[in-house]
Amino acid sequence: MIHESQTESSKEVHGSKPFSKLTSIEIPDLPGLIFLLCGIITILIIVFLIGFIFYTAFPTFQSQGLYSIFGTNWDYTQHQYGMLVFICGTIALTVVTIAIACPLSILTAIFLAEYSPPRLTKVMRPMIELLVGIPSVVYGIFGLFVLGNMFKYNINPGISSVLGFIPIFRNLQPSTGEGLLLASIVLSIMILPTITSLSVEAINSVPREYKEASISLGATKWETIKKAIMPVASSGILTAVVLGVMRAMGETMAVVMLFGGQMHIPGSLFDTGYAMTSKILNDIGYWVAVPEGRSALFAIAAVLIVFEVITVAAARAIGGRKKWS
Amino acid sequence: MELRRSVEEKTFIIITAAAAAITSLLLILIIGKIALEALPALNLYFLTTAEVDTPGYGQAIANAVVGTICLSLLSVAFAVPLSLGTAIYLKKYAKDNVLTRSVRFMIDILSGMPSIVLGVFGMLFIVIYLKPITGGLSLLSGALAMAILILPVIERSAEEAIGTVPRELEEGSIALGGKKWTTIRRITIPYALSGIMTGIILGLGRSAEESAIVVLTAGYSQFYPAVEVLQNSKMPFGAQLGPFQEPVGTLAISVYHMFQFPNIVPRANGFAAALVLILLVMVINLSARVILWRWKIG
Repeated sequence: MIHESQTESSKEVHGSKPFSKLTSIEIPDLPGLIFLLCGIITILIIVFLIGFIFYTAFPTFQSQGLYSIFGTNWDYTQHQYGMLVFICGTIALTVVTIAIACPLSILTAIFLAEYSPPRLTKVMRPMIELLVGIPSVVYGIFGLFVLGNMFKYNINPGISSVLGFIPIFRNLQPSTGEGLLLASIVLSIMILPTITSLSVEAINSVPREYKEASISLGATKWETIKKAIMPVASSGILTAVVLGVMRAMGETMAVVMLFGGQMHIPGSLFDTGYAMTSKILNDIGYWVAVPEGRSALFAIAAVLIVFEVITVAAARAIGGRKKWS
Repeated sequence: MELRRSVEEKTFIIITAAAAAITSLLLILIIGKIALEALPALNLYFLTTAEVDTPGYGQAIANAVVGTICLSLLSVAFAVPLSLGTAIYLKKYAKDNVLTRSVRFMIDILSGMPSIVLGVFGMLFIVIYLKPITGGLSLLSGALAMAILILPVIERSAEEAIGTVPRELEEGSIALGGKKWTTIRRITIPYALSGIMTGIILGLGRSAEESAIVVLTAGYSQFYPAVEVLQNSKMPFGAQLGPFQEPVGTLAISVYHMFQFPNIVPRANGFAAALVLILLVMVINLSARVILWRWKIG
């Protein structure tokens, strides 16, 4: 083995190019070429995947034009494919999910990073991160079979009887527990661990000196957190939230079970709706054999990709790649 | 003023502690509730019998457990070479320029891709267009689609692990006359191995818990995945290779059946399948953690 590596290294001496920095393309050794090939294949897969989706979706965008985004009627027999209802469903779901998950997870992160004794943190952080290991389909049946009736008989009527005078708290679907609130609560449990653990990391990465300086000036811990830690950690926390947005937007199984699947834009927290991912999952099995219906469903997938790319770009712009990988 | 400050401080502590308590109680409540619901169905018969050998629907899950493990392992096997190669190239060979930055951006896009998008891609391209190779809804189709899903997971943790290798070690190897590839093979990879393994195991867990892709590409089978060759005139050479070109049952779909056929699958059985799936994924994720802690080389 030693001999082999010596011959290899002697080749290296001859093969190394002292002027290689001048040329922009450096020809790597054989293993390097193999790795380059892997990289190229990976990129080709990604480009092909996205290209394939848009190619299949193209006929729908061509025939429907702007109606495909802003139209509200989705009917295979009338050849009308407007996905506004699904887009609004997904956006409503994402907004409510983030509104529930953000305060809870960021406060938890502050507690874990700043207040809790190290021993407690050591127990609690892995516990919260274990929540990631619960598959979304399990969250779905948990929400449906365990929380569903609770929401139908207690939570939805309860909240709307107190706050029903505000339009978003009206109980529009008293016959079911499924709806925006149930789906959002389950989704927010799903994204809690992501936002929490990334926020803890963001808070921990704030230099000690900032904290010590603030405390030595006589600030309380809360003032230190508010004035010294949060401004520095905010970009990391924001990146975590954007990641949560991404996860909530793309979630399929739990949403299909909990959002109700009715073709209208949710009018209140207790109303049902229809998300983009649910529409694809529900219909693809039947319409994949029909070019027109399949193209329409791929159009939803294409719009989802556009949303997703925007979110990724936002996450990178805020936090850079390092923080969230 | 002083009083206001200390009240503010106390209030804030209470609020954050309450939030933390709620968050960590959720785990106990959810798993506890699922375990309670699952209890009546959890027995040896349920865990060790294939669904086809039972009189009803959703009565046993052994075929799904085996199928889940097969599918995860196969998808990891597809994803590992590509993702490791890409990671090593990006970290050790490529220069930091517009090109590599856009490659990383594309990998980020892939890692955030909603699984349903990969699912419909897999269904149309892998299952339907490539049917002569993949055999339609099959273990192979499912593993190929799933490999795309976990590729960025493994790639990223490999890149991160390679990034933790101390420069001095690599420079030492090069100073001793080590070639670039020798350095990577003897120094970089052994040092980063625990991180790379962690990424691979996380990929394994990710593919075990995925359901949207599986339902669209792998189908479901009540039988154990079996090594066999079947006659099928629609396939090239008239042969269908089991288990690769046949549908495979997975735990995620066993759980999904509870939603699809709530009147046929007994409630306790659905929750028992869910509990087994949770435990499987958690064991996988925990072993990733243990490897990262205990198995540091270098």
